[in-house]
Amino acid sequence: MELFSEIYNCYYQVLRHLLSNQAPVTIQDIRTGISNEGFEESMLAIIPKIENGSWNLFEKEGELYYSKLSDTFAVPFSNLQKSYLKALLSDKRIRLFLTDGQIENLNEILSTVTPLWSNEQFCLYDRFADGDPYDDDNYRKHFRMLLHAHRKNRYVDIDYTSPKGTRVHHYYFPARIEYSVKNDMFRLLALEQTKSGKMKLHTLNLNRIQSIQPTNQTMDSAIDLDAIIRASYYKEPLKLRIIDERNALERTMLHFANYEKNTTKIDEDTYECLIYYNQSMETELLIEVMSFGPMLTVLGNEHFLDSLKKRLERQIKIK
Amino acid sequence: MSDFKELVKSFPKTREYVRDFFVYGFKTREEFGDKSPRTYDNERRRLESWLAPYVRKDYVKNGSNISLAIDSNLLDTNPLFQVWKTKSFTDNDIVLHFLILDLLQNGDALTAEEITNELLLTYDVLFDTQTVRRKCNAYEKEGLLNKKKDGKNIVYFLDNSLMNWFSENSNILDAISFYQMAECFGIVGNTISDQLDFHNDTFRIKHSFSVHTLEDEILFALINAMNKKVRVNLLLKSAKKNTVTDNLCIPLQIFTSTRTGRRFLCCYIEKSKRFTCMRLDNIKNVTLLAPAPDYDELRNSLDKNRIFAWGVSFQSENDSRLDKLTMQIQVVEPAEDYIINRLKKEGRGGTITRISKGIYQYEIEVFDSNEMLPWLRTFIGRIVSLECTNKAVERRFYRDLNTMYKRYGISGEAMPPQDT
Repeated sequence: MELFSEIYNCYYQVLRHLLSNQAPVTIQDIRTGISNEGFEESMLAIIPKIENGSWNLFEKEGELYYSKLSDTFAVPFSNLQKSYLKALLSDKRIRLFLTDGQIENLNEILSTVTPLWSNEQFCLYDRFADGDPYDDDNYRKHFRMLLHAHRKNRYVDIDYTSPKGTRVHHYYFPARIEYSVKNDMFRLLALEQTKSGKMKLHTLNLNRIQSIQPTNQTMDSAIDLDAIIRASYYKEPLKLRIIDERNALERTMLHFANYEKNTTKIDEDTYECLIYYNQSMETELLIEVMSFGPMLTVLGNEHFLDSLKKRLERQIKIK
Repeated sequence: MSDFKELVKSFPKTREYVRDFFVYGFKTREEFGDKSPRTYDNERRRLESWLAPYVRKDYVKNGSNISLAIDSNLLDTNPLFQVWKTKSFTDNDIVLHFLILDLLQNGDALTAEEITNELLLTYDVLFDTQTVRRKCNAYEKEGLLNKKKDGKNIVYFLDNSLMNWFSENSNILDAISFYQMAECFGIVGNTISDQLDFHNDTFRIKHSFSVHTLEDEILFALINAMNKKVRVNLLLKSAKKNTVTDNLCIPLQIFTSTRTGRRFLCCYIEKSKRFTCMRLDNIKNVTLLAPAPDYDELRNSLDKNRIFAWGVSFQSENDSRLDKLTMQIQVVEPAEDYIINRLKKEGRGGTITRISKGIYQYEIEVFDSNEMLPWLRTFIGRIVSLECTNKAVERRFYRDLNTMYKRYGISGEAMPPQDT
């Protein structure tokens, strides 16, 4: 079994799609296919191979290319992929997706396969201890209802208790289901239509949802969730100065790899890093920055700097 | 640049470049000092080609920087999976891939000779039988084809039972979408998505480090060694000394930090009789050696020891076996009960006691309390006292705190508790 194998190559994917088309295609159609799915410079490598017949996978008649493959063509699963699937079957979250019967069936098909890994081979030593209750029937029911509504593009009627204990009841559109590896919990990225017609983004913890009712209301317009998230970022990013001592640079870059960031070298061992974030990320980001202690210096924005100073002022007043 | 090729033969060199671009994202051509300019240009061009939608160019005074602008809040897949889809191949490889698999779609079981003949008759493509047999055997090894004996002959055939199961149980595709982003070896899940033309538009993953995929080949070898319960030789790169050394050990478990993004191999070093952790991104190569006869005992011993490891260190910096750390914090009850919850869920088994109204004590014994410092600092603003049997840790905490006071113009000084 090999991870780095040509059978997973991008060019094979591009070719499979081109060849699965039973209708004849022009060289321009082929170019478009490569441009949509290939790497930026794949065209330079693939087109000559098709045109000169080195990849003898098309019948050429005049200007048209006919696929030599049948319409039933499918690539079977490799041992690596089977082994991966087998490992997933032992994960505690798999029952959110599959029924006990489906898991049993799949286990039977994969009975001779060794799982790619087992859970006890991994230790996530700083994961939070209060993960979501994946075995809870109600939790699973809610998860599946949200998944279904998302697929069908439908709003759901959610009764929710916020972390502060406030009960909220609204129609929400389930835009995405977010999972936090650190918290071991799922959250719903839910959109609520405000009175002005705009979409407001809410993050709801799945284990705080009291009930969900399906509705017949569908989301009729295309929603650009990323634009909504981007628009929520503060105009002024967090600006950090990093002095590269005690491996600070590498630590910072890896730690904040999750955020959109931009780093510039100022001089021999000084760097500046801009991190983009929104209000919902603010407390977590502040805690992360504090964990670095004096390794990092917050240069801005003012709001973030004030929050950090407040914590320090509160600390010095304690004694 | 005429010899530029978009695809590559091996992964390790690529891994280094992508990691540097991804993690640091600010190195200019001059800063890749130990590589020739031509190598740099080719690697950079490849990277720009593979990851085009995510590449950002910034012009700075000493040249242009390229970096990867990846905002994990906006990702439906891991962009770095692309790097795994770049293995080079020959013309024969790609032609045989499609034609042999197509020929066997109808369930026929054929010998290498029969396949060779059919390739000529059905597809008008001429190959010698040896080449076809070699490809069939390679695909049997990869699991794409099955083979069995039919009388004196070896025949090759396709088993589509799993594919059929997938078409009848399409809800598994949601699971594949989720796990490829949330779990290890996500690249494998991603190849399944590719194969079934199904792409994630449902899940977003927080606190998942895209860069981990670059270590999957090393991880794969280590898991294999753990399954076989063998010793390994690791080729380990030291970032500080810029050297590569051989290290004999028994691999036991993978330790992952969900906060810092670091992953480690936890292993047993027989020579020093110690558990130790090595960063996966520093491991350059893994060679499997002979079985370790006491593997299960070592694994049990690790489980017993791990409860005293705050992170990845199994030894204190002083001679005491365990450091005892006690922290008292201030909490406004009940408005700040979430802080007590933080101690419970993040405290890794430490005991929490309510000392008086609004004052809580957290206490724990660990091998190396140094590792706790980043977490302890997150409680700045409410720490009433911090004491540790490892006095160096106390001193470091207060020294760092005073540096921060000074830096942000806060007047005053924090004093560590007096030694008794």
